[in-house]
Amino acid sequence: MQAIEIKNLSFIYSKGTPFEQKALDDINLSVAEGELVGVVGATGSGKSTLIQHLNGLIRVQDKKRASIVVDGMDTSSKKTLRKLRFTVGMVFQYPEYQLFADTVEKDVAFGPKNMKLGAEEINARVRRALDVVGLDYDTFATRSPFDLSGGEKRRVAIAGVIAMQPRILVLDEPVAGLDPAGRAEILDLIGKLKREVSPTVIIVSHSMDDMAQIADRIVALSHGKIVADGSPREVFGKRELVEAAGLELPTATRVADKLIARGVPVKPDVITMAELADELARLKGAKEADNV
Amino acid sequence: MPQIELSQVSYNYPVRDGVSLKAVKNLSFSVERGEFVALVGMNGSGKSTLAKLLNGLFVPTSGTVKIDGLDTSDEANTFEIRKRVGMVFQNPDNQNVATIVEDDVAFGPENLGIERQRIIERVRSALEAVGMSDYAKHSAAKLSGGQKQRVAIAGVLAMQPEIIILDEATAMLDPVGRREVMDVVRKLNEQGITVINITHNMDEAARASRVIALRRGRLAIDGAPEDVFASDLLDACGLTLPPSVSLANELSRRGFDKMNVIDEDGLVEEICKQLR
Amino acid sequence: MFRDVAFGQYYPTDSAVHRLDARVKLLLTIAYVVSIFFVKGYFGFMVAAALLILTVIVARLPIASVLKSVRGILLIVVIGALLNLFLIKDGDVIAEWGVIVITKKGVHTTIKMVLRLILLISGASLLPLTTTPVELADGLESLMSPLKLIRVPVRDIAMIMSIALRFIPTLFEETTKIMNAQKARGAAIDTGNVFRRIGAMLSVLIPLFISSFRRADELAFALDARCYNATDRRTKMKKMRLRWADAVATVVALAFFTVILLDKYYFGTVGIDIDAMIFGGLL
Repeated sequence: MQAIEIKNLSFIYSKGTPFEQKALDDINLSVAEGELVGVVGATGSGKSTLIQHLNGLIRVQDKKRASIVVDGMDTSSKKTLRKLRFTVGMVFQYPEYQLFADTVEKDVAFGPKNMKLGAEEINARVRRALDVVGLDYDTFATRSPFDLSGGEKRRVAIAGVIAMQPRILVLDEPVAGLDPAGRAEILDLIGKLKREVSPTVIIVSHSMDDMAQIADRIVALSHGKIVADGSPREVFGKRELVEAAGLELPTATRVADKLIARGVPVKPDVITMAELADELARLKGAKEADNV
Repeated sequence: MPQIELSQVSYNYPVRDGVSLKAVKNLSFSVERGEFVALVGMNGSGKSTLAKLLNGLFVPTSGTVKIDGLDTSDEANTFEIRKRVGMVFQNPDNQNVATIVEDDVAFGPENLGIERQRIIERVRSALEAVGMSDYAKHSAAKLSGGQKQRVAIAGVLAMQPEIIILDEATAMLDPVGRREVMDVVRKLNEQGITVINITHNMDEAARASRVIALRRGRLAIDGAPEDVFASDLLDACGLTLPPSVSLANELSRRGFDKMNVIDEDGLVEEICKQLR
Repeated sequence: MFRDVAFGQYYPTDSAVHRLDARVKLLLTIAYVVSIFFVKGYFGFMVAAALLILTVIVARLPIASVLKSVRGILLIVVIGALLNLFLIKDGDVIAEWGVIVITKKGVHTTIKMVLRLILLISGASLLPLTTTPVELADGLESLMSPLKLIRVPVRDIAMIMSIALRFIPTLFEETTKIMNAQKARGAAIDTGNVFRRIGAMLSVLIPLFISSFRRADELAFALDARCYNATDRRTKMKKMRLRWADAVATVVALAFFTVILLDKYYFGTVGIDIDAMIFGGLL
């Protein structure tokens, strides 16, 4: 079964007013369970509108034409709306700004409580969620989330979402505003979340380096349309498309292009720094062998 | 006389009764006119506190901060210093005071009591300098993040400052907005304005003429980007290398000669040289 | 996102009405609102509606943008209308079902009340639709400037107003974001019953408060950094200047006010009843 199945989805903001603005234009997208999909696109390309459709925060506008089915549930159905919200975990940009309870424990328990789980189950989930994001339960549970460092706050906020144990996890710019160490921690965490909690992960990001590194598949949006959809290697291979969508190439790809232009025969399809290093080490080795 | 001079500056935040947090400890350094300094360090290393010490928003608990010889601790100097040291903050939405772009840019000069005709000229040239002339009459709320920050820079420029401090001004921007802002800042620096750019982005740091790294409120590293990137203390400061520098290091571990690069173009140059 | 905020809904068309001096618009709007209360009968309402429609046309505003403000008070209008219709029992009876009695006077009073409210609200809405919040704040500051003599901090009040106006869309956007984040965690904001909804609102209000304080804090730094309060001789880039159009608008408004007052206080005394002349049979 597909985890997400989007058909003919369009969306217009302020429909019928002079401020009318087309945010999504005939999107067709299906995501299989177990995929890690990177959604990329310039600001205003429709990424946020798209992901907010996934848990029914934004309703499908033209139900006759368009449909979204998530984990077997039609997102337009009022009956399954609550269940849908718990199936799709949504970590928004700067999620620490949603913290509100006086202790970390209560904040993380908010989602499971809304699911009306038993006290024991809630506690178990809170412990597990904090453990997964790398925060020690005994140290952090009774602390106020507002006294934590920026990186810790963000992890508490993420724990608050994964405590619902969503089948699908959506993260919008999860490393925005963090220092380099914090970025690395959160990027590592995403792989762990996918392995241990939510098999399907969707990440919205501006960092092509990060996407090249962790995504199985990249969906590029431009002006509300999907302009590229495929493995990172396929998508970043379409240089004109990437550029036309107002996106950058990964650093490794950019460096490779510059090297090729200078006559260095690296493969044009490198996307990560590790690959580029391998390529260059190989060339260096070959050159050394020639010289001998 | 250096343009910015800190000697043994400490700053304590009062947290609650009797407890205070030492955000900056015994910091001494100076900056000359026209320098482009990147100020880096982990969250909580004291960068933002330092920024606020430079234009008198904070006054040192001990030690002195002098701008062009003016002591920030002397209240009589406050406005003269703020006029000379412009500041752009992280969140564009929390620093724009007016709804319309040109009104926002005019805010500083208006506060200084500058004559009307000259405000109009200053606003015009400031918007031109950041490439936002076409948006003078636009509503600030509808601009992109990069555009909003350029307007914020114009608002500072209209006060004709000698120093501009960017307090993580690009942190909330997408790559396009970041590039827009950095291009403007570089141009201003070329025109002689001293720039202090507080950032987490190591590529931005690579483009500065000097990098200062703070660690737990103390100065940890201070030097040209290549020296800083080669420092053993980088890890301890919670910093990572820009991707091209880290690739260069990796390559020198795998058969290449040691490369002394700070950015992509330098890296490409060096690789070509060594593979020829 | 900031999409449909009825308040502060500036509708830019750069028309003659938009370009009027904010002070003039403020005073004329007040005059219009006051004169609506002086309107006696249908003739007056006709004149008031004509003036309103004329202004909307000159301002090149879509009628929907004006009616939107009416939609906000629709409930009040309906309740008020029903109360009037059923509670006024004197005059000729038109219909009667048991305790429910509808009289001719009741019908007229109801129609007049509805017209009065609609004209009042849509007339008042033209001001924010055609004037930017900044212009409004500046206009108010200028109009209040005599109060400086009695030590009212007019400039600070104006600054507070313009900042408040500037932050309405920002806070609105912020609220939406936090609400979405909590809804995504299953908060019963748009599902659940009233009590659960109120409880769920706490999870929105607390972060909203915290973030507002943070914003206020940062804004205070930004104001200081840009030398707010550096001098008492603060200057202004935009000078408000009265133009011919302002005079024309004022004359039109005065003419309107005069007609309304004549209708109410004079025509009757000299035996002219314009309502009866126009609507004779209906009344």
